[in-house]
Amino acid sequence: MGGMHQILLKIGPAAFRIVSAWRQPLDQLVGLYQNYPQPIGDHVDFTVRLEPEKPWRRHIRPSVHIGGDFWLPDAAPLPLSQGLLAAEMGMNLQMALGWRRHLLLHASSVEKEGKALIMTGLSGSGKSTLSGMLAERGWRFMGDEFALLSLDTGEITPFPRLISLKNQAIEAMQELAPANRFGPEMKSTPKGDIRHLVPPKEAVARMDETAKPALLLFPRFGHAPELRDMGQAEIFVRLTQASTNYVALGEAGFRALTRFVDQVPTMAMDYQSVEQAEELIDSLWSELR
Amino acid sequence: MTQQYRVAPTDDLIWHDLGSMTLLYHKPSGITHMLADPAPAIIEVMGDAPLTAAEIAARLKALFDLETGVDAEDIVIARLDELRTLGLVSRVSG
Repeated sequence: MGGMHQILLKIGPAAFRIVSAWRQPLDQLVGLYQNYPQPIGDHVDFTVRLEPEKPWRRHIRPSVHIGGDFWLPDAAPLPLSQGLLAAEMGMNLQMALGWRRHLLLHASSVEKEGKALIMTGLSGSGKSTLSGMLAERGWRFMGDEFALLSLDTGEITPFPRLISLKNQAIEAMQELAPANRFGPEMKSTPKGDIRHLVPPKEAVARMDETAKPALLLFPRFGHAPELRDMGQAEIFVRLTQASTNYVALGEAGFRALTRFVDQVPTMAMDYQSVEQAEELIDSLWSELR
Repeated sequence: MTQQYRVAPTDDLIWHDLGSMTLLYHKPSGITHMLADPAPAIIEVMGDAPLTAAEIAARLKALFDLETGVDAEDIVIARLDELRTLGLVSRVSG
């Protein structure tokens, strides 16, 4: 077997080592993450490994097995052409299962005037697409996958990894962002068609700047535009479901999440187009004090 | 001897009001419980002392307007059994 290749990446507060049996996914990552700073020193929080499913499959119909410090036994191998997706999934998995310095919420976030808008919901709610759209329209992009809630200050720390666009969102974002910010199109992956988008430069340059959570939305795509109040009990339960490390953090997680639910105005938002969502968000944002 | 009950030590519990529900974080188990009325009130009136269901019902009646015509003690016993399975209340022997 030949040698392994590796690169280091720093995304927000987390440093990753990506080790791969193949050069290609790493070259793609290096290109897409070229504006990101390098971790200081050799210390990394997580290692992600992209290895052949079986040694002999490195060259013959190569398929990528995702490994790392933390992993799920049922993570299916991906074809080498989707190696970039495997690396991104591997990094997400390490964060979801291993990060302890913040309460992790499956949510996107954007910032304006030092205040963060957080959007959470099930896959297909449009939270990732909305954060990408707003990032092209005057908001600072903080992350499309995880919002990192501080256990002490209650602020949100950015985790601005590549924006993962799926299916129709790819075309919609191609109208807004220049072609040189897009990664390769990966067709028919287990998550549908996927194309990664490099966040705006400002998002990367300011990725250490935290923001105070000012508004939480539960977007739902495909329903007539409407804003609804939600009870605190429902909000709390849905946020524990959206958190990957609430249980692991114990009392610190309980205190961080109850403070968040107490302090952050929250609405459910239905919408059928990005324009509708932007209008609803602008109206809510202008009423914030 | 009538059965007495004791609630988990106050220092082991963190309360948080969510409006329609009450959160109770139990430090030794790391479990977050979401309680609906009257369970939070039962835990509150129990204090530190071992009490019988009848004594708990009497304390509740003193503090809250309970519906007439219902057997408060039966309701308290049912809720105590549920709280016991959650590890928040224990039976006191003797």
